[in-house]
Amino acid sequence: MNRRVRIAAAVGLAALVAGCAEDAPQDMFQPAGPNAQSIYDLSVPVFIIAGVIGVIVMVFIAIIVVKFRDRGQAIPDQVHGKPTLEIILTIIPALILIGVAIPTVGTIMALNDTSDTECVINVTGQQWWWEIDYPTQSGCGSGIDQPIITSGQMVIPIGTPVLVRGTSRDVIHSWWIPRLNGKRDMVPGRVHTNRIEADEPGIYAGQCTEFCGLSHANMRMEVIAMTPEDFEAWKLNQTKPYESPAEGTLAAKGEQTFISQCARCHQVNGLEDADGAPIVSRPDLSVYSGAAPNLTHLMTRNTFAGAAYNLLTPECRPKVWNAPSETVGAEYLKGVTPDCLNSVELREWLRNAPAKKPMYADPTKLEATDGLTRGMPNLALSEDQIDELVAYLLERH
Amino acid sequence: MFTTGSKFLVGAAVLATLSAIAYGVTQDGIMGTVGLGSAAVALWFLAGLNLYTRDNNYWADEIASIEQAPAAVPAPANSVWPFAFAFGAAVLAVGLVTYQAVFIIGVVLLLVSGAEWTAEAWAQSASADTGHNANVRDRIANPLEFPLAAAIGIGVVVYAFSRVMLFLSKTNTVIAFAVLGSIVIALAFFFAYRPRVPSKAAAVVIGVGALGLIAGGAAAGLSGEREIHPHETTSGLNEEGVDICTSPDEFEADLKASQSVSATAAVAATITLGSDGELSYDLNGPSAPGAVGITLPRSNPNNIIFQNRSGEPRRLSASLGTMVAEGSTNEVPVLMCTTLVDDGGAQNMTMRIDLPSITTPGGYSFFVPGVESAELNLVVP
Repeated sequence: MNRRVRIAAAVGLAALVAGCAEDAPQDMFQPAGPNAQSIYDLSVPVFIIAGVIGVIVMVFIAIIVVKFRDRGQAIPDQVHGKPTLEIILTIIPALILIGVAIPTVGTIMALNDTSDTECVINVTGQQWWWEIDYPTQSGCGSGIDQPIITSGQMVIPIGTPVLVRGTSRDVIHSWWIPRLNGKRDMVPGRVHTNRIEADEPGIYAGQCTEFCGLSHANMRMEVIAMTPEDFEAWKLNQTKPYESPAEGTLAAKGEQTFISQCARCHQVNGLEDADGAPIVSRPDLSVYSGAAPNLTHLMTRNTFAGAAYNLLTPECRPKVWNAPSETVGAEYLKGVTPDCLNSVELREWLRNAPAKKPMYADPTKLEATDGLTRGMPNLALSEDQIDELVAYLLERH
Repeated sequence: MFTTGSKFLVGAAVLATLSAIAYGVTQDGIMGTVGLGSAAVALWFLAGLNLYTRDNNYWADEIASIEQAPAAVPAPANSVWPFAFAFGAAVLAVGLVTYQAVFIIGVVLLLVSGAEWTAEAWAQSASADTGHNANVRDRIANPLEFPLAAAIGIGVVVYAFSRVMLFLSKTNTVIAFAVLGSIVIALAFFFAYRPRVPSKAAAVVIGVGALGLIAGGAAAGLSGEREIHPHETTSGLNEEGVDICTSPDEFEADLKASQSVSATAAVAATITLGSDGELSYDLNGPSAPGAVGITLPRSNPNNIIFQNRSGEPRRLSASLGTMVAEGSTNEVPVLMCTTLVDDGGAQNMTMRIDLPSITTPGGYSFFVPGVESAELNLVVP
């Protein structure tokens, strides 16, 4: 074989192999629900058609370039106009495009139809995390009788068409769980809908797919699909009343530290001040988007900081993320236990959040936002305060 | 042979490189250095390209015209543009240490005089015939000068006219506009029916009119605008303590409200007051089955459309808890509302709620003043 051909073949093979990955959680070619499946069923034949046409075109170009290259020969007679050929070369692409367009339009219309959804979940994007809230309803399994609010990880029951109703608080974001459906932009001031459904229990990763500023790449999210029984258990846990830490413990000190340092932005439902009045966060006074993640049940999810960091240690994380579909729900419901807490990264985050995730949080550079930060600022906490907060947060199940 | 183009590109590339280095050493932030560095790379590339494709083309050097001695060229006429350019540079320098407006004027002067100077100098080397050169200069410069001058002229006249209109009272603006419009139309008819009137006369009339307008605009601008009374709004009245949101009565805000709505915003919910006195709602996409009210995200603008199908003018109000009134310790209700909406009509209300509904015993709600049965839960998680 010619040396050049071998080199070209090797480069081509390397490029092909570069597309392979053992751990590819955001792979739209592994659909895990009917919506993603319909996209897959459309993409594959279209990709094959486009690929075949692309190869034919490239081969023809290569033949023409090689065969008719300038070798000093006389310029051949120039022919202008070949009606039969031109008509054929117009009709064939038109037919191909029509053939592709019919299933494409059908799939788009089918995906946009949200009338069959049985569970509504609101999603609100902001720099750089997703807020997820479940309005009261009789859907979502046995119903939701009080609002549930969480962030970063959306929990859904399997086999249930879920309507994601989304918007944004600051800039345009885009919601995309590739294994469950296509992407949907979330535009400030507008409400967008996206239907998702998972066939099997599992953790389905996604990422904001509309550039939204400094930490766009760190704005992730996951959908945790569970069996209906596990989902009911999750809902029950999310609505259980607040429990204060036992007196005299490090966590009890952490509660006071949380109230003085964190509660002005982060809501913990049920938290009360010394007079017994509920403490209500006011992120709108400190954060540009006007929101900060609700931490009432932080340790029931296993990521934080816009799902960019793990609350589980590297040893514990695979037990949940790589769990078979039969046990993933149960593993997830265990939440973050003391022996599995990734305290290293949580401490680093509390010590200096902007160092862990690029954010516009430098207090000297906030003229454009009237002093409001985009993201969490460095709170200059002492090591003792960090210890107390970690102990307190660890009890937020 | 190094052509003028190569010299220019190499010079610009050197300047960009030095600027990138100087910026990188003296200034904070990487973006300026990246920008200047990119310009330097692009200019070096273009300079190299020019050196290779143009300067390297030695055939171009051998054309007879280059080897011949150039014809004597008359000295160029005096030009105002070098002076204007220097003046612009001085204004720009002064602007750097005084006001941004002065700096911008300096930049504009520099750009305009630089462009004019360049066009003039370029045209002067076109031939030995000064008349031909002037024509060349006009051909290159006039397509830019005329639209620009026209835009500036129109802008000045329009701005002056707007100052006059804002100075006059509301009634006098109508009279002034009618009189001025009539004069313009009358003059237009006159010139149209009298084509023999010298064009200079028309130019004098238009010039005098424009000058008069500019003078009037300057005088009016110095005198200031008339007082413009803003229309009341429901939120404005609310802040003043007027009980509009709990009242079914009509206020000035109901008649001449200047509420603003974003044309690009989507509707979070449509709430309808039916003839049965009940509130129903419709959300984007199917509603959550069995929902006990509307859930809206916190700290985010939400557009609520209120449709009145009750048979009488009604407003939609939202009860959003209480707050401590400014300058006192009294708790006052937080309310928002639409203006009175006629039967069959609809109106948008944009709501941004910063506190969750759990802060209020009983939560938030929508209601219609005067219709007791019309109530709807509002949940803000």
